[in-house]
Amino acid sequence: MEITEGVPPVINLTEVAEREKEEFEKKVSELIIEFGAENLLACMQCGACASICPLARVGFEWYNKKLIKAILIGMKEELLDDPTPWACVACNRCTEICPRQVAPFEVMFAMRRLMVEEFAIPTLAIEGLRSLYEHGHAVYMTGREARKKVGLPENPPSTDSDEKALQDLRTILKNTKLAELGLIPME
Amino acid sequence: MISETVKEEKKLKFGLFLGCNISFNRPDVEQAMRKIFPALGVEIDDLVGQSCCPTWGTVPSIDIVGWCAVAARNLALGEEKGIDLMTACNSCYGSLNEARHKMLKNPEIMSKVNEILAKIGKKYEGKAKCRHVAWVLYKDVGLEKIKESIKYSLDGITVAVQPGCHFLWPSEVYPDKEKDPFNPKVLRELCEALGAEAPYYTKLIDCCGMGALRSTDPEKSFILVREKLECIKEEIDADLIVTTCSSCLIQLDDAQEKLRKEGKINFSIPVLHYVQLLAICMGFDPQQVAGICVTPRDEVIKMILEGGKR
Amino acid sequence: MPKIGVYICHCGENIAGAVNIEEVKKFVEKLPDVVVVRDYLFMCSDPGQEIIKEDIRKGLVDRVVVAACTPRTHEPIFRKACEDAGLNKYYFEMANIRDQCSWAHWHEKEKATEKAKQLIAAAVAKARLLEPLEDRYVELNKNVMVVGGGIAGIFAALDLANAGFKVYLVEKSPSIGGNMAKLDKTFPTNDCSACILTPLMVEVANHPNVELLTYSEVEAVEGTVGNFRVKVRKKQTYVDWEKCTGCGACLNVCPPKARVPDEFNEGLSLRGAIYIPFPQAVPKKAVIDPDACISCSGRWFGEEPRRTKDGKPILAPCEKVCPTGACSRDEPRDPNGELIELNVGSIIVATGYRVMDKKHFKEFAPDSPNVITALQMERLISATGPTEGKLIVPSDIPKYLEWKKKVEKGKEAKLEARKPHVITFVSCVGSRDERFHTYCSKVCCMYMLKQAMLLKEKYPDLDIYIFFIDVRTPGKDFDEYYMRCRKLGIKIIKGKVGGVQRLPDERLLVRGYDADLGKPVELISDIVVLATAIEPNTDLKDLARKLGINVGAEGFLRERHTKLYPVDTMTEGVFICGCAQGPKDIPDSVAQAKAAASSAMSLLAPGKMRVEPLISEVNPEKCTGCGICAPLCPYGAIEYVEVDGKRRAKINEAICKGCGVCTAACPSKAITLHGFTYEQVLAQIKTIARKGVIEEV
Ligand SMILES: Cc1cc2nc3c(=O)[nH]c(=O)nc-3n(C[C@H](O)[C@H](O)[C@H](O)COP(=O)(O)OP(=O)(O)OC[C@H]3O[C@@H](n4cnc5c(N)ncnc54)[C@H](O)[C@@H]3O)c2cc1C
Ligand code: SF4
Ligand code: SF4
Ligand code: SF4
Ligand code: SF4
Repeated sequence: MEITEGVPPVINLTEVAEREKEEFEKKVSELIIEFGAENLLACMQCGACASICPLARVGFEWYNKKLIKAILIGMKEELLDDPTPWACVACNRCTEICPRQVAPFEVMFAMRRLMVEEFAIPTLAIEGLRSLYEHGHAVYMTGREARKKVGLPENPPSTDSDEKALQDLRTILKNTKLAELGLIPME
Repeated sequence: MISETVKEEKKLKFGLFLGCNISFNRPDVEQAMRKIFPALGVEIDDLVGQSCCPTWGTVPSIDIVGWCAVAARNLALGEEKGIDLMTACNSCYGSLNEARHKMLKNPEIMSKVNEILAKIGKKYEGKAKCRHVAWVLYKDVGLEKIKESIKYSLDGITVAVQPGCHFLWPSEVYPDKEKDPFNPKVLRELCEALGAEAPYYTKLIDCCGMGALRSTDPEKSFILVREKLECIKEEIDADLIVTTCSSCLIQLDDAQEKLRKEGKINFSIPVLHYVQLLAICMGFDPQQVAGICVTPRDEVIKMILEGGKR
Repeated sequence: MPKIGVYICHCGENIAGAVNIEEVKKFVEKLPDVVVVRDYLFMCSDPGQEIIKEDIRKGLVDRVVVAACTPRTHEPIFRKACEDAGLNKYYFEMANIRDQCSWAHWHEKEKATEKAKQLIAAAVAKARLLEPLEDRYVELNKNVMVVGGGIAGIFAALDLANAGFKVYLVEKSPSIGGNMAKLDKTFPTNDCSACILTPLMVEVANHPNVELLTYSEVEAVEGTVGNFRVKVRKKQTYVDWEKCTGCGACLNVCPPKARVPDEFNEGLSLRGAIYIPFPQAVPKKAVIDPDACISCSGRWFGEEPRRTKDGKPILAPCEKVCPTGACSRDEPRDPNGELIELNVGSIIVATGYRVMDKKHFKEFAPDSPNVITALQMERLISATGPTEGKLIVPSDIPKYLEWKKKVEKGKEAKLEARKPHVITFVSCVGSRDERFHTYCSKVCCMYMLKQAMLLKEKYPDLDIYIFFIDVRTPGKDFDEYYMRCRKLGIKIIKGKVGGVQRLPDERLLVRGYDADLGKPVELISDIVVLATAIEPNTDLKDLARKLGINVGAEGFLRERHTKLYPVDTMTEGVFICGCAQGPKDIPDSVAQAKAAASSAMSLLAPGKMRVEPLISEVNPEKCTGCGICAPLCPYGAIEYVEVDGKRRAKINEAICKGCGVCTAACPSKAITLHGFTYEQVLAQIKTIARKGVIEEV
């Protein structure tokens, strides 16, 4: 994915706000709060979270603090194609230190959820979901040499060797938003 | 600490939660656990039917209830048997405990989750939690017992510890907490119990760059792992890197080789999960408990089996 | 023969580190009349003082010389020790061997030791000539004048009045209340300003110990602490306040030509030439603004009325409507008002502040009616404001007023005023700005948050942006207040606005910078609110000069000491409080007002004041009445009187501060400064000139 070209050199706050009002039922900030970042509005942009965020460190553009600010002024469209939220390692060091208990990690993940709603979801994530649905494992390997090599039975005692459990898991997934969105085929 | 009166020999039992990476990528870690825990008096339940925790890039990225529902099914497998889960993967540890924390904090999520679980005839009440193997070894088994149980020690060997992010943060959600998550001691003490030196180094708590970062942009991910490895090399010149996270294990072992090939680093430090290291020290077959790696381990294993560096 | 005791202090290492105490002791022991020489680690400590007292009590010594730090801080301590032991405290002399010796010559130990010897010798030379003196007391007038009737002045007056002191509360404008009366609600609790202020205004006005002098200004001040004589000018109201009942009948009768911007509404509406400043005014009396009045009836006060053909006098509309005849023009009125004289013992200055006008800020389109100051915003949202608190864009206020007039007259009318959708606040306008004021105005961050919060709570659909350099909300409850705003969804952007442009439809294009995103931002706003600086009133310097107190470089009144004497001034008996001292909020203004009141009380309560006898006195036998001294005295303490038919200088002991200017200047050596007589000072100088050898008397 390309880093977004979505944000112009001068941000037109009026346009951003009007679009927010006209095009969506809810404000971006309201959606993000609904998707799990309950304390979003408490952010005072101190930057502590960015100072230790691995993403900021390696040059992603919309790391925690900046993403929060963009959301607070009502940006959305401009951010949808950005890969940064999908790179969040969920390390939660930011959550640990945020002086306002914003839990910036939750904002990153709420943004993922918002992107998913807009079908701006990276292929890799789709792959993982499909694998989870099919095998009960997001990371799955058909080759079992490794297990054999270390003297373990070919199949771990998971959904991989328990058909009933796999069906249970599928039932669960079919009753979640994943199914509502129809992101992956579910029989 | 107040000394406990006559410690009752209570049978320790945990559901062994494997997770995807250990199951398929690093089964030697699974084998190591299957060897050491019974030998240390900890009974293991296979938790048949377990699945992906779910890992961060899957359901947690779609919605919170779905995340919690998948996690709750796994946790319920333990709850049904009256036992806690135990994992050697930080990602599983993080995802399961974050989900549990959300359910406990927010009754609405909990009841939605149970509505879904009811469809497969299950329920989750929030009792069973997921423990980390490092904490089970440190707190439940105890350093003394570990010291007694080893045949080989790490005399004179310097290890760099890598507890990993999800071992530490957000401390609020975890069942066991470091006194100071910014200066974690548990893994260091665990390594010292094996006779090793496990000194502090500046980037001890820094992220290794694994997970979503690596899958989104490997080049950026390697910046972090390289910084970390260089710090380990320069500051403490470790003989070995020891981690308690299967993801960190893969990243440090695997990316190191890639960095070498690209000529970005010119050294090689073997990497082991702590349970592997303990299994070796306890005398189990290194081929079985530590047979899978990219960065060679043979020399350091040999060193250990020959009684350390001294 | 005097018996002099010399006590040398080590001051820890401070003195002993540079001065060889043993050597000094040996030298001092040999000086004439010295009977005892002792040294100690800290002379000022309890045991140190006890050494001195013990020697006095035993009758060993009757003059005390302490060689130590500095008389500036420690002379009173040692004087008291002498007094406690039964010795007249002016039999004490101090040699400064720390500040002026050991510290100054830290690296030249031998020279320091030598200098210490000479300084002590000089002190001993003076001590031999000391005379006992007695403290004096002056009577204090127990009345207090408080200047300025804002919240600070009101509180100072009330505290004093409740404690039984007579207070004259002098207020420049026709009503007390000050700026707080213009505010809608007040941070950090958002209670209604009028609701908490009005009862206090009434209470102070009705207090039996308070004499309210509104529409009055201080003209001149004479005298000193305890006995100030103040001339106050009561300005001409042109309305007979004895008769005016504040009914308000006259308020709307002035013709359009006689309407001028209303001060209380910060110019957002107009008032007539005859006006009552605001509905809750205290006293609620009308005044006529002579500059605005066009004399509708063609006559000024005291002139013969014009008459109709049938001989009836033609009256101005105001005269006509007034039910009590309070604004009758039959009698002449002195345009200068009335000058009255007050005698007070202490003065408290609480004249407050004004906010900067928007006209100074050319980059923010000050010509646009929709660019307003924050104080104007207070009026716009206040229920007593030009629109009764209805939120419309300021450019439509005239439409609103038209509409209201029609409705009041019972006509059908539709209000076509535009409601704002977007409001933008700009911080630090004129504050923290080298072009205007370098200080931070301290309250604007909080009031911007307050206004934004009030607006957002009342109109949730409003888009509100606040552009900050940084948000300054220190102390209890304030940052929590800021958090509340954030949680309301007010958009807070770090970065200042650099330009505002008028759009053809009277909306405004705002150009700012978002430091968090690192990009310039633009938006269209219906109203732009400028948090303009709090600055000193224009006449503050003049008032300060009359009172003999200082203003700082930034123009506010200067306190004697920032930390230790925050409400005192360099003129004893004059105290300051509230925004006249510097920008501050209501809680701080009130706290200072109460501090100033209690400072005045503790000064005046004893009824008399001790003054040191170290003042100058004229010997009429030597004085030739040459007239040199009086003009030189910085305190105006000297006057010339007839003594046995001759002109002689006379020093008023209540005023003399003992500065010694006259003493030095008198060509006839007729003036003695007690405690520093010619003989004493010369003995000191000679001793030093002879390198420590004291001349035998
Ligand atoms: C827009 C705005 C909003 C604010 N909101 C709040 C708030 O919500 N909460 C809060 O705590 N603070 C607030 N403040 C600050 C508050 O207004 C001041 O702290 C307070 O009014 C200071 O009171 P004062 O008595 O010192 O001065 P003032 O209120 O200025 O009173 C001074 C009085 O002295 C009179 N006077 C002036 N010169 C003379 C003279 N030469 N002779 C005689 N009389 C004279 C004046 O006419 C006036 O009546 C706000 C300020 C502004 C500008
Ligand atoms: S640490 Fe918290 S308050 Fe500070 S910028 Fe990050 S989210 Fe905002
Ligand atoms: S959890 Fe995500 S946003 Fe927070 S510091 Fe870690 S990588 Fe950055
Ligand atoms: S004469 Fe009376 S009505 Fe006419 S302008 Fe003057 S004050 Fe107003
Ligand atoms: S209080 Fe805030 S807005 Fe006012 S000058 Fe200070 S920093 Fe600027």
